[in-house]
Amino acid sequence: MNKSVFAPCVLALTMGMWGCQQSEEQPEVISQTITNLNADYAPLVFNPGGPPTRPAETKKYTLFNFRTGQIIPNADSASGSWDIGFRATSIIFNSGTSGPGTAAAQVVVGTFDEIREAPESGFIQDNKNAGPSGFAVLSSPLTPGSTATNHWWQNTGATTSTIVSPIAGRVIVVRTADGKYVKMEILSYYENAPASPNNMVDKDRFYTFRYVYQPAESRSFE
Amino acid sequence: MRVVPLLICLHVALSGYAQLGVDTLANRNLEEVVVTATRTERELGALPMPVTLVGKAQIKSIGSVRLHDVLTEQTGLLVVPQVNGQGSGLQLQGFNPDYTLILLDGEPIIGRYTGSLELSRIAVGNIRQIEIVKGPSSSLYGSDALAGVVNIITERPQPGFKMGLSARYGANETSDLNGEVGFSNKIFSAYLFANRFGTAGYDLSPENFGKTVSPFRNNTFHSKFAYRITPRTELAVSARFFDERQDLNFEVASNGEQIRTSGSGFARDWNLNPTLSHRFSDRLKVTGRFYSTRYATESFLNSERDGSRYYSDSFQQSFVRPEAVGEYFVTPDQAITVGGGYVFETVATTRYGDQGNREQGTAYGFFQHEWTPTPKWSVITGGRYDHNTIYGGQFSPKLSARYDIKPAWSVKLSGGVGFKAPDFRQLYFNFFNTAGGGYSVLGTEVANVRLNELATANLIQSWAFDPSLLGKLKAEQSWSVNLGSSFRLNDKLQGDANLFYNSIDNLIESQLVATTTANQNIYSYRNINRAFTTGLELNGSYNLTSRWQVSAGYQLLYAMDKDVLGSIRRGEVFWRDPETLASQRLSTSEYFGLYNRSRHMGNVKLFFRLPERGWEANVRVIYRGKFGVGDVIGNVQGEVIPPSNKPGNNVLDVHDDFVAGYALVNVAVAKTIMNCFRIQGGVDNVFGYTEPVFIPNVPGRLWYVSLSYTFSKSEKLN
Repeated sequence: MNKSVFAPCVLALTMGMWGCQQSEEQPEVISQTITNLNADYAPLVFNPGGPPTRPAETKKYTLFNFRTGQIIPNADSASGSWDIGFRATSIIFNSGTSGPGTAAAQVVVGTFDEIREAPESGFIQDNKNAGPSGFAVLSSPLTPGSTATNHWWQNTGATTSTIVSPIAGRVIVVRTADGKYVKMEILSYYENAPASPNNMVDKDRFYTFRYVYQPAESRSFE
Repeated sequence: MRVVPLLICLHVALSGYAQLGVDTLANRNLEEVVVTATRTERELGALPMPVTLVGKAQIKSIGSVRLHDVLTEQTGLLVVPQVNGQGSGLQLQGFNPDYTLILLDGEPIIGRYTGSLELSRIAVGNIRQIEIVKGPSSSLYGSDALAGVVNIITERPQPGFKMGLSARYGANETSDLNGEVGFSNKIFSAYLFANRFGTAGYDLSPENFGKTVSPFRNNTFHSKFAYRITPRTELAVSARFFDERQDLNFEVASNGEQIRTSGSGFARDWNLNPTLSHRFSDRLKVTGRFYSTRYATESFLNSERDGSRYYSDSFQQSFVRPEAVGEYFVTPDQAITVGGGYVFETVATTRYGDQGNREQGTAYGFFQHEWTPTPKWSVITGGRYDHNTIYGGQFSPKLSARYDIKPAWSVKLSGGVGFKAPDFRQLYFNFFNTAGGGYSVLGTEVANVRLNELATANLIQSWAFDPSLLGKLKAEQSWSVNLGSSFRLNDKLQGDANLFYNSIDNLIESQLVATTTANQNIYSYRNINRAFTTGLELNGSYNLTSRWQVSAGYQLLYAMDKDVLGSIRRGEVFWRDPETLASQRLSTSEYFGLYNRSRHMGNVKLFFRLPERGWEANVRVIYRGKFGVGDVIGNVQGEVIPPSNKPGNNVLDVHDDFVAGYALVNVAVAKTIMNCFRIQGGVDNVFGYTEPVFIPNVPGRLWYVSLSYTFSKSEKLN
């Protein structure tokens, strides 16, 4: 996992625009891109007479903390130290039936840059017993013709070969257990984020995403 | 439509031979007569709607032997590969191939196995002319005539005796043999036609197993008899028989394994059309017909490893239609046509879960009023009502008017409604495709029962769509307007322009309904989409000298999904920059439109004629602009067809990958000797353009030579 830190530039921009109005004590927003987060990668095995399987998969979530930008060991899943978890196309938050925390999230339609502030309401905590509406972000693809906005990916491969494409213009806004706000955009599901993934070559279940974390008590992302 | 992966290959194969080329001689004589626009013989120049006529001379001059070759060279017509369906089909004003009704001597050709009709089934050796009516014609012909009607008119006996033989041989071991004999006197006439066509097919990706188009052979027999029982009463019978056999070789992917298979495909159709007409007076003529036709196809593939049956499939369709039509001249400037009939159709196929027949019936009646109030005006009003046992009633009106601003300059306006009935597969599919990745397709008439069974057996893992909302399918509907103008200047220059707009509602698309516990998707059908196509068609021709003529045609086309356009306007559609991977909002000007539509297409043709020496020659350039590919299932000869869409959205926008535009150049030379022998040679696709994955229906360079002999002895009647 690599990360690159953009926080200083963002701050410089804000300061330049708002100068004297900006409180100097306000902590800087954390803005970074996480690449190749392994979400239970396992090679596909074809079975004669049945659907392909992944015998090597662990079926465990890769847990992540936005403030530190670090992966949290899965052994700590019962703690409040993680915010979000990834396994294949499934994305969970630390709340409800997924964890002991109170994190909540929602999908907002728009470009990453134009979402300058988290919504006041509309956050959902995980509840696997509530069916598809029990998760802020669905693991299933957007079906053609559907107007649902809580999917993060769609299939751009042929019927018989799935290519997981993050839907452009979907930003996940998270309220962490300690009440901090994060906006994140998933950029790729394939290793090294190829522009046009080939599912025969590129390894899947590798997330690349960017996010902005607001450490202060504010819904603003600037 | 995401339904028929495996069959792709079969279909591409059955599609046969596509050679691009087509017609020309844009010269239109005012005496040219067409029947399709009004169901009665009318002068082409007097009709108030856009009609293209391709005559025998044009067909002969380009040396083509199958229907798709002729159609591809017409402005506004495009023979497109049906990578997700069967073979190739005809795109007209941006409509998919199954939205154009194709008639043979005014009667529908059946056998739209997966939607579009395989045009290579039609030989051109006995075609007298092809009439293409653009704009909806459901007011006369009922279902399927949304984009228009292509009516193939075959030869009829001429007074006297006529006999002809021709043979053609060309690249890919393609041979074509024709024989015809006709006889007519005052009482009796007969015409017989036979054709044998064979080709070794072609292979655009020799590195892959099997051919792009596998070898096939077919035979066509067509006979016509007419007997004048009384001076006012005539009995005519037309009978046609066609059969085709194709060798199949495919490498198929099954669960990550490559399996080589071989087998055969068969197709057979026949039709019989007895017609009795009686002229009660100079004003009233009544015709009764009993048209029946049947189409059957069958294919199988065996694994080359162990000989086991890998795949088999069969399909039979029958169509029976009694009809009566009366034409009455109320006054010399007003004619009324009234008709009615009943269509009884059946389909049986392995894909419906059992071999039982699925049936439907349609009762219909139509009327048409043609009026020429002054020599400058002509107005045609018409309408048809269809009542179907499954989708209910449909009323299709049409109004057309023509005004001559000057004798050589006219304006035409026509508007009408078209519809397309849900086809049998959308109603009755009960098909589990193991080979295509393991998914099921359920027609709407069987979906609920079958889904209930699965749900009761706890085999449904998740629902993607509420099955109770899968109601009865409605017919797809369109309304259209065509505004055109044509002019003729000093016998040298002529041209026409036509603006068109088609609005289409209730388009039937496949809908993912559920996923089974074995992770296999179940699809059904719904009336989902709304689309429009609009554009401009231009045609012109100029006689440079008495020997040289040049013609050109162009079509501008915008074909878009209305709901996608609405989403883009509301700012709900984004695209992902491939460099930064950041999302950006898509603007309406960045939306390209529907897949497989080219914004620009056109042709330029140069003809040379030296009748006194029997020489003629031509060069034709046919251009198709760039287009996008999507919604594609399956593969061509083992090659997966990559969709144009880049990750981010499922909308074809200017940031996506397009199939580049291309031009095909065709040349032909012919010499007639002693008025009865004709030698012709030519090369289609001179520069050998191919695009194996996206345009498998364009073979490389094709040469041919042909020799024909015609003998005729005229005899004036009366």
